[in-house]
Parts: sequence; structure tokens; C-alpha cells
Amino acid sequence: MSHMPENNSWQACRYCGKHVHKLQWHPNYRCPFCGQLQRLTIKQRLRITIDADSWQSFETVGTSTDFLDFPGYTEKLKRAQDKTGEAEAMCAGTAKIGGFPVVIGVMDSHFMMGTLNTTIGAVIKQAMAESVARKLPLILFVASGGARMQEGIFSLLQMNTILNQWSQLEDSKNLVVNILTDPTMGGVSASFGFKADYVLAEDHAQIGFAGKRVIAQTTHEQLSDTFQTAEDLLAHGLVDQVIQREKVRSQLITLLRIHFGGNHA
Amino acid sequence: MPEKNLEEKINLVRSPKRLTAHQLTSQLVTDFFEIHGDRQLGDDPAVTTGIGLFHQRPITIIGINRGTNIEQRREVNGGAVRVTGYRKALRVIKAAEKFNRPVISFINMPGADASVFSEQHGQSEAIADLIAKMGQLKVINIALFLGEGHSGGALAFSNANAILMLENALFSVASPEAVQAILKNRDETRDASEFLPMTAQQLKKIGLTDSIISETPAGSLVQRIDDELMKTMKRFEKLDGEQLRQQRRVKFEKVLKLN
Repeated sequence: MSHMPENNSWQACRYCGKHVHKLQWHPNYRCPFCGQLQRLTIKQRLRITIDADSWQSFETVGTSTDFLDFPGYTEKLKRAQDKTGEAEAMCAGTAKIGGFPVVIGVMDSHFMMGTLNTTIGAVIKQAMAESVARKLPLILFVASGGARMQEGIFSLLQMNTILNQWSQLEDSKNLVVNILTDPTMGGVSASFGFKADYVLAEDHAQIGFAGKRVIAQTTHEQLSDTFQTAEDLLAHGLVDQVIQREKVRSQLITLLRIHFGGNHA
Repeated sequence: MPEKNLEEKINLVRSPKRLTAHQLTSQLVTDFFEIHGDRQLGDDPAVTTGIGLFHQRPITIIGINRGTNIEQRREVNGGAVRVTGYRKALRVIKAAEKFNRPVISFINMPGADASVFSEQHGQSEAIADLIAKMGQLKVINIALFLGEGHSGGALAFSNANAILMLENALFSVASPEAVQAILKNRDETRDASEFLPMTAQQLKKIGLTDSIISETPAGSLVQRIDDELMKTMKRFEKLDGEQLRQQRRVKFEKVLKLN
């Protein structure tokens, strides 16, 4: 009995299917067998990115509700909340990275695939507004399957209202860095996803507008395995760098140092 | 006449007999001068852009074509605008701002292009650029939905001071088929969409659509469109560039605050 692993100690890699012990995942969640990255929760992402004990969450800007009476949405929200322990698929706040104060927003694909709805949109606009008000750089970790269908046109209208907010952010000349992680798709990719001074893509992340399945069905083309990967986007000049998760924090510190000088703690 | 149901509306707006952007442009605009190409990759035939005179006044037109026969539909990709289409539109609205001309978009499209070409040439950012610039334009922009318009692709042409819709037009987060596919709902094809506001009447109720243009009697439809466009233009003509931006911001934020 003593050799039985405790609950949830082992997890199958979602790419190669091999069983990996939790100690082997830490801290970057890269499979030791196939080298692929697992998707991170908000807490896991913050832990490997920001300085310890520097996180301060912003005030909550809204609660997701099923205001269109869309079948099954209330249950889906509840299930996602139970599964992740988060109220929604994104949180934003202030933190320090290598001593540099920043506004940081993190999306979580474990919560309804990080889909963009009215609440997520409000959090993104809040993060952008706070970045302007506090004169702090904005770091966004993007992870989303696109717009959330259950909120219909209200999800769609996040795209233009976020971009309105972004225009003000752009005028402020604040530093903005987006890290596109797996997956970055649809209405998120086609709104704020690429709207940053530096767009970094985590290795192997799927990034695009239309889904691969939809493109395959529409065009009847055989799509290569690398299509819509971070590496493919780099090859086509669509992102600044493909970045290994192990280096995200140190590269962010490099960018912050270049922009703000090297005298931080 | 009783309002048509969603299925009927969908069939109507996709019919080859539906009023097209081409027809409307040729009837409303004199001296139409077409502008081709995005200067980077090519020229998307799904988007006709150009300048001309509307009631003697210089104007920029962006018309989406979905084609009225098989051959045309293949050529224009069924109205699914490619990456080159968004960039061409961006070019002409920048020129509109430079020369202080209003922009009018005629929309009937299923959504954005789904292809390797558009993906590998940055369709996402091209859509984002057009949405952002439309929102910040210092000249009047008006979107008229002739048929349907879905996803960020349609939003790129409708982030405007005013949204007008023909009686049976539709505007949604995704086409009914796409909603169904995304939700992996294998039941009745258009079921899920019954719960999403997308008809002109529903969108008027939430304040997104400014006015609905009746489609009957059909003989005088173009006249009614002409009147409504003039009326809408008059509504904004006293606003300066900054006020036009502000009006757009407030318009969309108000819709979101209602929920």
C-alpha cells in the first residue's frame, strides 16, 4: 500500500500518452518523454513567471452569468469553476518580474477553453486601463479557443471594445508584451492577440484564426502537422520569437531591463 | 406581414436573388472609381472597394460580394473575405480619413476565410488592424447589413458609428453552422442559434442596430436604403473626428452594459 501513488500524482501526457509523475512535471510542465508542454493553470503560470509573493489581484469586474438562457451554459460554468477553482478563465493584477513592477493578465484554457466572454473582456480592458493609469508595462499570457458562443454577439463585441481600449494603451506608449500560449485562436487571435510591442509564442503552441478542422473541411487540403504551430508562425514572420517556457521569465526580465534600465533589485 | 423565422431568414439572405453590394453601389453611387489590391499580397475579389459620389458628396464604399452563381461564388470564396480583403479595406479607410470622406460598408458574408493562405499571411492581425482602425476613424463610418455577417470578419467592417440592417439581415458571433460545429452539437442544425440574438429585430432591441430597413415593397427598397443612409449621415455630420470616435466607443459600451 505504501507504494501506491497518492491521488493525482501521475498524469498522462496529452501528446505522447506516457505517464508522468508530478515531480517530473515541475515546474515547467514539459513532458520528459516527448518534450511537449502541458497547458498551465493561472496559478502554475504565475508561479513560474513572477517574483514570489508579489501578486496582487485587481478587484473583480464582473461575474459570468447565463443571461441569454443558453442551454447548459450555467452548468458548464459551474463545472469549470469547480474544476479550476477560479471564477473565470482569466485573472489580472500587479506583480513584479525580476524586481520590475508590471500589470499582468493570465488566461487559463482549463476553464471553458479560455473562451472570450463579457467577463474575460472586462478583465482584459481593466488590465489595459490599469496599465495606463499606473504607467506600468502590461504582460499578457494568452490562452483561448476564441469567442465564447454561449454569449453570442456580446462575446463578439469584446473584440472591438478591447481594441478601443488598446488604442488608448498604445497612445500611452506603455510597453506591452503578449505571450501566445496553446491555444490562441479565433476572436482572441484576431483582436488583442497580436497587439503588443513584442509578440512571443510559446514553443509548439497552436495559434491561428480559423480552427484546423474547419480549414481542412473547407479546403479539402491535407494540412501539415506543423500548420498553425508557433514555429510555423515564426517562419511566416508573424511572431517575434518562439520562446521555450523555461526561458519566458528570463526573457521578460531582459525586455524589461532594456526598456527600464538595469538597476532594479 | 409576420416576421420570418431564422431558417427563412438564412435562406433569404443566402439566395442568389438577394440585393448585392454591386447592385446597390451602381444605383446609389455615381462616378464609382474602384480601388484594387492590398499592395502586399494581392487583390481579394470578395471585397469591392472604391470611391465615388453619393448625392454629390465624395464617399468611400466597401462592398462584400458573395457571388450570385457557382462560378462567381468560387471566385469570391462565397464572400469569406481573405487576408488580402481586410488589408485592402484598411488601405481605403486610411485614404478616406486623409480626404475626409465618409465610409459605407455593404455586408453579406458568412465569416472570415478558412484557408492556409490567409492563416499563414496573418489574417488574425489583419482583422484586428481593421477593427481597430474602424473604431478610431475620424470620419463617419456606417455599416449596412444586406444579408448576414458573422465573426470577427464581419465585425471588422461594422465597428461603425451606425449599424443599419435590412429587415431579414443577421449579425452574429459565428454563422449558425459554425456555432453548431464549435459547440459540437450534433442535433438539429440551427438549434443553438435560436438562443443567440442575431436578427435585425433582436439586435435593435439591445441597441446594437440603429435602424431596420423594411424589405417590402421590394420595388422601392433601394430608395428606402438611400433615404436611411442620408438620414444617418446627417445625424453625424456635425461631429468632429474626436466626437466620432467617442460616439463609437459609447455606442458599443452601452450595448455591453445592458447585460
